[in-house]
Amino acid sequence: MRFINFILLLSIPAICLAHKINIFATVEGNRIYTQSYASDGGKIKGGVIEVYDKAGSKLLTGKTDSLGEFSFVIPKKDDLKIVVIGGMGHRTETVVSADELPEIKKPIAVKVEKNEGYKEVPKTEITAIDTTLLERIVERVVDEKIRAVLRLIAEQKKEKIGITEVVGGIGYIIGIVGIIAFFMKRKSNV
Amino acid sequence: MHIAEGVLTAPVLIGGASITVTGTAIGLKKIEYKDMPKIAVLSSAFFVASLIHIPVGPTSAHLILNGLAGIILGWAAFPALLLALFLQAILFQFGGLTTLGVNTATMATSAVFCFLIFKKLVEVQSRFWNFVGGFLTGFLSVLLASFFVAISLALSGEVFMPVAKMIIIVHIPVMIIEGILTGFVILFLKKVKPELL
Repeated sequence: MRFINFILLLSIPAICLAHKINIFATVEGNRIYTQSYASDGGKIKGGVIEVYDKAGSKLLTGKTDSLGEFSFVIPKKDDLKIVVIGGMGHRTETVVSADELPEIKKPIAVKVEKNEGYKEVPKTEITAIDTTLLERIVERVVDEKIRAVLRLIAEQKKEKIGITEVVGGIGYIIGIVGIIAFFMKRKSNV
Repeated sequence: MHIAEGVLTAPVLIGGASITVTGTAIGLKKIEYKDMPKIAVLSSAFFVASLIHIPVGPTSAHLILNGLAGIILGWAAFPALLLALFLQAILFQFGGLTTLGVNTATMATSAVFCFLIFKKLVEVQSRFWNFVGGFLTGFLSVLLASFFVAISLALSGEVFMPVAKMIIIVHIPVMIIEGILTGFVILFLKKVKPELL
């Protein structure tokens, strides 16, 4: 009994810590931002990020920074598989599906025309450019604002191991071993 | 030291699984009815031990307790660790179901190896040598497990030396802690319940 108490004592600090890595990816504008962290909350620094398309060909690779973050311009509109490799056999992946991704837009090139006499631009064209530009500006501002919120969601999404899983697991072990013991006893009685 | 899914190549997975199947078969054959409670206790201990983290530099390592399971259970460590690793994989997502064979093989092979070597040392009537036996079991089983993990990763394409160095360095504190822990548990059991060993 004292030994069992000893084991129980060992398991007390167990509740809040874990060993696994997670990745959280968000689409913002034409980029994908990823955060990688261990399930005890530690950031994965210098983890290798690999991005694959649906067909499985590698589109790009990168390394996470000191905050465990890595971002990249969306290479194409497809189901993108993002894999993070944390070293020592740790690896996890997440999929960003194609319908979460925006249509890929080419950056608007603003041409500065040289002063070769002032040419009058038809009015309709001006409003057209204005709306696209405005759309892009609004999009960018909203993205920046929403980033903080997404970060918060990512923080909350961190899966921590609760006491339920720990106690449940011990219950499973005792139950399974108990069932085996039951059958062994029956066998030896026959 | 749990290897996640998708890291290892198929031959390594199959190799690990076959070691585990063989070990588990031997273990199950050697189990007697009276061993069941200690198998459950040590399987549970192993199950929760990996939740106890030790910060090592930028990363962290966790307790393993495979040596303790090995020295007390002998060959029965295979089924005990297999069960605990299976539950860790499905409840905590540590490791994975495809790597269950390799993970069990790395942990349990080192545990059984230490059991075979240090069993005699734990059985002698000397508290000093009992502690030494326990310490070496705890220490070596983690060292060997690190080594086996490095080999599995190397066989799947990583360069052996840097990986092995990294894993072993990170686990040095774990080795020392587990050595001391296993030593004291052995002394304690010798005193209160010697028939367990």
